[in-house]
Amino acid sequence: MTNLQVNEKQTSSKGLKNFNWLWSEYSVIFAFIVIFIVAAIMNDRFLYIQNQMNILMQVSTIGIIALGMTVVMLSGGIDLSVGSVLAMVGVFSVLSLNASGSIFVALLTALAVGAFAGFLNGLLVAKGKIASFIATLGMMAAARSIALYTADGGSIAGDVEGFSSIANANLGIVRFPVIVFLILTVAVYILMTKTRFGRYVYALGSNEKAALLSAIRVDRIKIGVYTFSGLMVGIAALIETSRLNSISSSSSGNLYELDAIAAVIIGGTRMTGGKGKVIGTFFGVLLLGVLNNMMNLLNISPHLQGLVKGLIIIVAVLFQKRD
Amino acid sequence: MEQSSILEMIGIKKSFNQVEVLHGVDLTLHKGEIHALLGENGAGKSTLMNILGGVHQPDDGQIKLDGQSSKMENPRISQEHGVSFIHQELNVVTDLTIYENMFLGSELRNKWGMLDVKEMSRQTNEVLSKLGVHISPKTYVRELETSYKQMIEIAKALLRDSKIIIMDEPTTSLTDNEVNQLFELMRSLKKSGVSIIYISHKLKEIKSVCDRYTVLRDGDLVGDGRMQDTNLEEITQLMVGKSVSTDAFHHRKSTSEGNVLKVKNLTSSEGLYRNINFSIAKGEVVGFTGLAGDGRTELFESIFGFRKKYSGAIEVNGHPVHINHPKKAVQAGIGFVPKNRKENAIIKDLSVIQNMSLSSMGNFEKNGFIHSKSERDKFQHYKDQLNIKVHDPNVTIDSLSGGNQQKVVIAKWLEVDADIIIFDNPTQGIDVGAKNEIYQHIMNLADQGKSIIILSSEAPEILRVCDRVNIMFHGEITGRFNREELNEEIIMEYATGSKREAENVD
Repeated sequence: MTNLQVNEKQTSSKGLKNFNWLWSEYSVIFAFIVIFIVAAIMNDRFLYIQNQMNILMQVSTIGIIALGMTVVMLSGGIDLSVGSVLAMVGVFSVLSLNASGSIFVALLTALAVGAFAGFLNGLLVAKGKIASFIATLGMMAAARSIALYTADGGSIAGDVEGFSSIANANLGIVRFPVIVFLILTVAVYILMTKTRFGRYVYALGSNEKAALLSAIRVDRIKIGVYTFSGLMVGIAALIETSRLNSISSSSSGNLYELDAIAAVIIGGTRMTGGKGKVIGTFFGVLLLGVLNNMMNLLNISPHLQGLVKGLIIIVAVLFQKRD
Repeated sequence: MEQSSILEMIGIKKSFNQVEVLHGVDLTLHKGEIHALLGENGAGKSTLMNILGGVHQPDDGQIKLDGQSSKMENPRISQEHGVSFIHQELNVVTDLTIYENMFLGSELRNKWGMLDVKEMSRQTNEVLSKLGVHISPKTYVRELETSYKQMIEIAKALLRDSKIIIMDEPTTSLTDNEVNQLFELMRSLKKSGVSIIYISHKLKEIKSVCDRYTVLRDGDLVGDGRMQDTNLEEITQLMVGKSVSTDAFHHRKSTSEGNVLKVKNLTSSEGLYRNINFSIAKGEVVGFTGLAGDGRTELFESIFGFRKKYSGAIEVNGHPVHINHPKKAVQAGIGFVPKNRKENAIIKDLSVIQNMSLSSMGNFEKNGFIHSKSERDKFQHYKDQLNIKVHDPNVTIDSLSGGNQQKVVIAKWLEVDADIIIFDNPTQGIDVGAKNEIYQHIMNLADQGKSIIILSSEAPEILRVCDRVNIMFHGEITGRFNREELNEEIIMEYATGSKREAENVD
């Protein structure tokens, strides 16, 4: 301990600079570790492998949505429609499943409906020049309404055997949705750091005019961004529907947009775009998951959980380094 | 002498980023006079006025109001001393009414603490009628003509009982009629004892309305006196000065025939420019100059596909092109280094390397993924070629100096391999040393056969680097010259619209 302090003093400014850089880039990971340790101390059941797997399972749906949300927010936009679109996608995929008897058709339907809803969002934002908040707010209301009307306000259950095993299959001790979430995290990370599309999204979110004057097809990138978010919602909807083998047109996906946005913001992505990391969102999602789990283990009233979550979100953002 | 001075600014010095822009300037303003503050862009007029207005603090020197030393620590204090600053861009809130604008920030309240609309309207009405304007104080500002918006700014100054009013280029957006009305007003203000500092490039206007003048050049006071003792030629001479270290840059004369870019009858549907005809050959450097609001930036933003509302034809290498997006312009071989680098040219959250490669990502891809090593290698190439000073090219671009940022932007367009490169204000915010370096790089590009277009309002810059120059005024080309037949006085004459020989030369 004393040695460490001496070392720190010797490397003085450089060490401090490095720490500042680490903190500003990865503060969400520090926050995650702190909450993780606190949870482990507060309740010894927290560290059980079964509990850890549960946490991962619980966050996978929101996690996949948050990955799409990260891309949208890096471009300088926001997607409020994800929760409603999830319900709408769920309804249509179960209908197509029951009509065709084919899981594959249900899967294609989910991806297509999700991507199409996102594409419409993108069209409204890019070509209609509507603020993303407004365009996706409209989609949020419309998609929920379509889900409710189609399902007559209730739930629809799948009646094809095997559909529910999508979300309930295991690979060793890991549930399938968790694997999907992890794979998609890596995929979106690569998309955002190693491809032209990702580079353009950062450029557009940081300075749209300069991006346009750099000969980037800004409109197409925007449409791509929202379509991608819709696609992620399609995948998440499939998992959500398969998990219970049914979808509720009225309650499925409620407030998912808030959890997804919270995860992205806690993960350090700038509200106005251009700056942020996929890895940040990943830990933002885990942090929210651990927090929920801890409050359940501690028997905190569900009515109070929202308060704690809200405080954590605000504190996390307060501590993040802002420009 | 015969009049008492209301304001004295003595030995004002000011530096930005270690560059001194005012080297000890004096300005004396008499009570009840209209005083012209003259100088070219960058001479230091705005800085001097911003110091008087409390926006900037001087590094040295003092300000005396009515003989008393005063400190203008912020704009509010300056206002309390009776100084009103009417900026070139109007500071009116268009979604509020006239009286709301007049009292913005100092609203009157009645004894209940509510807004006293009646009293505010009454006072507004009073001031407006003094100005000879008869509109209801409750009219929304967005419904007003530009000249009336200007009037509101002036009325605001009157309402505050201003003793000194600074007007920065107030006539750029006014019609002749409105200008005359403004002058009438200025004369009557003068009679009532108000002093006006009038900044303008339009020398004829100045001659007709101003009593005395002060000329700045490169941050120095180069002349002052009474308007009646001088003439326009003398003033122009003072503003331009003897050419200092303005060695012209030259490049190899291109031998090729034919035009790389030809523009025919380009007219903006938004009225920003009209009847533009010009052409450029391989390896030529052609300048476009004029004053603020001459439409040259908008013209080339259209040619680059950023603005879409125009008619006319553009030909590149003899083929007609339809450019409706910057991407199309790039495909046609046109590159654009825009002005206001921070807003238009750099992506501050991306690294130096990423800014370089942004417009030509296809060159750096392997199997659909970005190949970072080829990006790095290519940047090293440009770093050597353009002498870009950066320790770690992975830092964000905003940590570089202006000159080095500009070189990265140039590298971006070199990587696109554009045949035609448009530079808008290429040395904006760049210090003198780096300026010359940028000019030299531009010459090298011309040597390599690139066609270069330079947009600049700085006459010395245009004269130093361009083979041919087009001078614009109010959206039209008013003069075309070869470098040999041109000097700053001629540029000034055509840029202010005092002379024109447009359509006959081509």
